[in-house]
Amino acid sequence: MSPRKDEAEPAGVDFPKLMRRRFVWLVTLAVGLLASVIVAVLVGTLGPIGPGIPEYITFSEALGAIFGLEGDWPAYYSNIFWDVRIPRVLLAAAVGAALACAGTAMQAVFRNPMADPYIVGVSSGASVGAVVAGLSGFATVAVLGALITPALAFTTALLTVFVVYYLGVVGGKVYVNTLLLSGVAVAAFLGAVVSVLIYFSGQQYHRIIFWLLGSLSLASWSAVAVVAIAAAIGIVLVFISSRDMNALLLGEETAHNLGVDPEGLKTLMLVVAAVMTAAAVAFTGVIGFVGLIIPHMVRLVVGADHRVLVPAATLSGAIFLIWTDTIARTVIAPMELPVGIITALCGGPFFLYLLRRNRLAGEV
Amino acid sequence: MRLDVRALSYSFGDKKVLKGVSFEVRPGEFMGLMGPNGSGKTTLLRCVMNYLTPPEDAISIDGAEIRSIPPETLARTFAVVPQSSSTDFTFSAYDIVMMGRLPHRKNRFAGPSRADADAVRGAMDRTGTWALASRPFFALSGGERQRVIIARAVAQHPEALLLDEPTVYLDINGQLEVMDLIKSLNREEGITVISVLHDVNMAARYCDRIALLSNGRLEAMGPPAEVLTPGVIQSVYGVEVAVRRDPFTNAVYVMPRSTATPAPRHGRRVHVLCGGGVGGPIMKALLDAGYGVSTGVLNVLDSDFENAKDLHIPTVPEAPFAVVGDAAHEENLRLVRESEAVVVGPFPVGPGNFRNLEAAEHALRSGKRVIVIAPAGLSAIDFVGGKASAAIKGLISSGAIEVKNLGEALERLQGTGG
Repeated sequence: MSPRKDEAEPAGVDFPKLMRRRFVWLVTLAVGLLASVIVAVLVGTLGPIGPGIPEYITFSEALGAIFGLEGDWPAYYSNIFWDVRIPRVLLAAAVGAALACAGTAMQAVFRNPMADPYIVGVSSGASVGAVVAGLSGFATVAVLGALITPALAFTTALLTVFVVYYLGVVGGKVYVNTLLLSGVAVAAFLGAVVSVLIYFSGQQYHRIIFWLLGSLSLASWSAVAVVAIAAAIGIVLVFISSRDMNALLLGEETAHNLGVDPEGLKTLMLVVAAVMTAAAVAFTGVIGFVGLIIPHMVRLVVGADHRVLVPAATLSGAIFLIWTDTIARTVIAPMELPVGIITALCGGPFFLYLLRRNRLAGEV
Repeated sequence: MRLDVRALSYSFGDKKVLKGVSFEVRPGEFMGLMGPNGSGKTTLLRCVMNYLTPPEDAISIDGAEIRSIPPETLARTFAVVPQSSSTDFTFSAYDIVMMGRLPHRKNRFAGPSRADADAVRGAMDRTGTWALASRPFFALSGGERQRVIIARAVAQHPEALLLDEPTVYLDINGQLEVMDLIKSLNREEGITVISVLHDVNMAARYCDRIALLSNGRLEAMGPPAEVLTPGVIQSVYGVEVAVRRDPFTNAVYVMPRSTATPAPRHGRRVHVLCGGGVGGPIMKALLDAGYGVSTGVLNVLDSDFENAKDLHIPTVPEAPFAVVGDAAHEENLRLVRESEAVVVGPFPVGPGNFRNLEAAEHALRSGKRVIVIAPAGLSAIDFVGGKASAAIKGLISSGAIEVKNLGEALERLQGTGG
């Protein structure tokens, strides 16, 4: 900017360039998400891309079926796309976005890059509800049954978070360390309850395990609607708190000194993250690692400023879960794997790699 | 910005940390908050920031009750610089300074604006941190980090800075850099400064006024020269100190003395002939060894005169720069006769104080032991054209004990004493 040529401009930050770069990141990710949705819809056991089991169909057949054109393909093609594939991809996007966004918020609240959305007991709480629903036989009731499990899981998840939160709050102040430990303790207790229930579950065993490992196979438009609405509201609330979370990462006192109410912020973020996560978990079971790895990974690329981290992580979470679920439903076609297994298989080693890399770089 | 603190008390549970502290800070002032660890300084700062909620009507800013001020408004009035800052997250120095713009945002949806960017640039230029802007905050040195935090405070465009021991983790170079920066913000931008400081000399050098807290009470308040007296420091910190003026800044300068307990008094008395500052260590060592001490003639303003005064040692004063008069000389001889031994320090001898050497000769003649701490080269202290060297050699040849240093002098005193 300076016309002087004789002395080098000292290292600084070009603000417009910084903003442009962030904008480019977000636009790239948004386009990537859109492309992922489109491509993933076309990938599958029935589709122009995929394992070809039971059969390949052509692009024009697929597009024709999706857009309801007249053609000489079976009518169920259209049903498969509109009742199964499309809601499933959209649910993956909504759940991935919700988990990554909630994970980002939790890492800020706990000021710990190792925190995840399940840290306050959402997963263990939801598991108890889901297992009870599965065992009680409610889940098999026609029509209503499909909603009983999510409803019960959602309720027990929020109840658990409420208990953990209550244990972590003393005199109106949220003590994150106490919260963390109560989360661990409550999760351990409920984990034992779930184990007992599974032990005596008999025939239901396989179903329950499938739910616990996380799967998007029960996707439906009502699931998409519920998770998308919860995620959308949550993402907006987390995004408008992003500058406050930046300040919180330097400590609660610093946040206060910069005009932020740390108690209000922590409580809001805990509630928002818990509701988003509970909504996702209720329909899909416990999908691990998305909420932990994605914020972490995105932070390495775009930096820790939540103004860009929150939207970037949210979009990345959506893309990540769309593709891991695509792998889950195609890799052993016509069977499918719980997506939680794929996320853990991808996420675990990658996380260790990051951990190791940061150790060597002197971080964390 | 005018800060009023009225009868502020604060307790953590049963423990009263502040007990009715009252003072005011005037606009543009550099105010130091001092006191021993646990005296309530940090608690006081936290109350001022309403981070710890003070009792109603205890603290007000420009007449407005602090608890009624919204946090964002408070953050536009005060910017806080803590002792140190760290984070596990990879913020750049620029991100950290940009956080200072948080209290100025238009609404919760607003990101940083061009105006915010300009404020950040200005603050980082002002603090010499612009070159660090894109570096990760955690990778900076302690001094660089502290300057970045001060840049954040400047970017807040506050009316006052609140600092909690801003230099405590810095080396001496970093300390001066940071304090000079704060002082220039205070002088040039008119930003009021309220700073907790541990180092009394730092406080004396930079503060307009000092509030000294002790055990939750305001012990003293005023300009450094009034607050930092040996008596006040002794009562608050329990440390004996000597207070001087810094020769270059004329600021009050506090020197702690050894906290070692002196040996019990044994009634033996040593007379010290000295001047120009060489007597300080001799007097202190003799006192610590339990001797009674007196000194020869010293001109008022001589640093040994100040030393003797600080140590409450009887001395024979003479007018500044004057030649030792007869009255003073007689008094000197009287003190010599009352002593068991005389120590002659390696003091510079000029026409004015030559008679101190005559007092040593008098001591020898009256059978006192005389110990001469001889300097490496006699000519270095001889400002009377060889007369002093001759006199000292004369002392030695007539039976004075020659030693090389203070330690040896003490050994000779003790060894052949009793």
